[in-house]
Amino acid sequence: MLSRVAESLYWLSRYIERTDGMLRMLKINYASSQDAIAEFSWSPVMHLFCDRNDERLEAMEFNSRTVLQYMVIDKENPNSILNIITQVRENARSVQDHITKDVWQCLNEYYHTVKDPKLNAMLKKDDPISVLDILIKQGMLFYGITEITMARNEGSSFMRIGKYLERSIQSVNILDIKFGSVDHNPDLLTNTNYWKHLLFSIGGYELYLKTYRQGFEAENVLDQVVLNNEFPRSVIYCINQLFKYFERLKGDGHITAGNLAFLIGRLQSKVKYSSIKGLKKGDLHLYLAEIKSELYGIGNAFNQTCFNIY
Amino acid sequence: METKSYTKSYDLPKNTWDEMFNDSETVREEYKTVMNYLDLESTEELNKKEELSKALFMSQGITFTVYNSGEGIEKIFPFDIIPRIITADEWSFIEKGIKQRVTALNLFLKDVYSDQFIIKDGIVPIDVIYSCPHFLREMVNVKVPHDIYIHIAGIDLIRDNDGTYYILEDNVRTPSGVSYMLENREITKRLFPDLLPQCKVRSVIEYPTVLYNNLLSLAPHDVADPTIVLLSPGSFNSAYFEHTTLARLMGIELVEGPDLIVEDHKVYMKTTAGLQQVNVIYRRVDDDYLDPLAFNPTSLLGVAGLMNAYRKGNVTIVNAVGNGVADDKAVYVYVPDMIKYYLNEEPLLKNVPTYQLGNASERAYVFENISRMVVKQTNGSGGYGMLMGHASTEEEIEAYKLEILKDPRQFIAQPTISLSSSPCYMQGKLQPRRVDFRPFALCGPNGIDIIPGGLTRVALKEGSLVVNSSQGGGSKDTWVLSK
Repeated sequence: MLSRVAESLYWLSRYIERTDGMLRMLKINYASSQDAIAEFSWSPVMHLFCDRNDERLEAMEFNSRTVLQYMVIDKENPNSILNIITQVRENARSVQDHITKDVWQCLNEYYHTVKDPKLNAMLKKDDPISVLDILIKQGMLFYGITEITMARNEGSSFMRIGKYLERSIQSVNILDIKFGSVDHNPDLLTNTNYWKHLLFSIGGYELYLKTYRQGFEAENVLDQVVLNNEFPRSVIYCINQLFKYFERLKGDGHITAGNLAFLIGRLQSKVKYSSIKGLKKGDLHLYLAEIKSELYGIGNAFNQTCFNIY
Repeated sequence: METKSYTKSYDLPKNTWDEMFNDSETVREEYKTVMNYLDLESTEELNKKEELSKALFMSQGITFTVYNSGEGIEKIFPFDIIPRIITADEWSFIEKGIKQRVTALNLFLKDVYSDQFIIKDGIVPIDVIYSCPHFLREMVNVKVPHDIYIHIAGIDLIRDNDGTYYILEDNVRTPSGVSYMLENREITKRLFPDLLPQCKVRSVIEYPTVLYNNLLSLAPHDVADPTIVLLSPGSFNSAYFEHTTLARLMGIELVEGPDLIVEDHKVYMKTTAGLQQVNVIYRRVDDDYLDPLAFNPTSLLGVAGLMNAYRKGNVTIVNAVGNGVADDKAVYVYVPDMIKYYLNEEPLLKNVPTYQLGNASERAYVFENISRMVVKQTNGSGGYGMLMGHASTEEEIEAYKLEILKDPRQFIAQPTISLSSSPCYMQGKLQPRRVDFRPFALCGPNGIDIIPGGLTRVALKEGSLVVNSSQGGGSKDTWVLSK
């Protein structure tokens, strides 16, 4: 497969995963902003998905509508859903002969949905959750159509690698931000709603209820999001998947492994054999930062070994 | 339900061959089924079909982007829902005529790049060839597989007011539009359920298979499992949709210049597993941009060293390089003579009478009668740089004359041919618009195949004779009927 094509597929998939994470995060946060008695701060969400240097962020921190418009349809915000989906579509356009026609049409329609002026108007005055649901559904369609129509070949392996790398980075980021806030406000550690809310936003609430039966505790949340291999957004699950598709590419002779095998294997062991329950507050941040930096390292290694060899 | 006769409101143009109507009352035999179908539909129904066709083009991303005040606006190429029909007899004549013409053009290319008998025998003047910017000395004595230069030809046909077909121009470099032949048909299937089989319309679906098999057989002979790629200028090219469609339908790799590299006179593509040799390149990049070392040195669309690999026979380029000398509009004049010279046959499809402005007496005649002429640049395409005598002002004509006098060889003139009209569904009624027709011929080692269909281009502006998509033209599905 052409390096350019592999790279486009990888990024296409990363971008879709990112929008999915963003949209869910926006939906849950908006819902809980409707529950909040005190002013609801969007700062953690914006830190996750926006450029922290954008001076406009501070002014909109407490204004849900403005934040939603900024993050969904703002043309000036390079990380808005609109701009990311535009990138997705451009990537898809340039690899149309490697994705199925159904996948292309789905992404093309996603793009036209985000661009639709009606959506814009709805986001300004109607129920934002309806808008977010429309977009989330477009992403779901992509996942479903990919699953059903795409051949399980090299291209789909690169797409999955992009997806799981992006997802694991998101999960680590969310933990880091959520536990970071605890440092400033220790009461949060025992605030049930705080942890419930985290689980909702990454779709892990129901699994949590079934797995941990003694209420909402920070430690258990951490355990699920990092180490529960049954949870599709957990760090360990993502890394295992990453490893699986990397092995598949390597086994079929599609790539030369370079130091990728080493990097992925090391991270896998590191996460698998860590005992986070014992971690102290300060060490947790360090631990998450390390994982994150290794994930970035894997991304760079793919870039060097597969996408920009020449 | 109230039915409506679309025939009555049709304003038949004078002195013009209309594709659907014999006269203002009667519909041609081949269109009767379609007309009966239409007459049963209300305008609301037809408007719905028109909307559906737009939605289908949009959702499939068959669009191009117009940049307006920094904002990209997606547009679709206009499509008219009423099909254009060609009868079995007409088709078999067109098919023979095009095969004859393409055969002669191919022999001409082989000759002009080797022995040049046609020049030595005085059939084509030497200065017409050597003054043509698309005659490439780099191609002289280069051996191409099976002596095929023209693998894909798009020959444009028009009809004069008595219905006679004429060759308007030959496109044997990188003719485009075939994806519209394929997509228009897919859309018509949705717009008019069951109508295609009722009318016994021949399918166009074989095109990619025939082309792919030809490409396979053109690989250098010692390669068992050839790698075939389609070289595109990239996603900003207005024909990019066509490139991806063809690559997908043939299952070949779509590459851009930077994806390829030449080493040791062999062409490779950069893959995740290393370099992989490429044997056949179906290129949609013009000659001039193909290799910065041989041609335009500023080109980023091509591959450095490609021409050397080609000359060595390590890679096949489709269409061959240097074909522009065969579809040059000054050379066009000589194609009927070529057919006689190479094939000893009378040309079946006629040329439009053409005056060469390089010739002083013909130039004088054209200047006198310029209001009845169309003047074109010999190497132009896409409808750019034309002068339509009947529709131009005094000043435009004078300015254009000065342009001509700078280098008369680069211009030809043809009497204004009215072009046949075909009904288009616009604002709730049928309105006549001018059309041409481009069928696609595929040449391989086993002969020439012409897929029964093609691209009918429509000049959407009332009274306009310019059908090029870059000049506001649209397209129609073209039905070739079986016997």
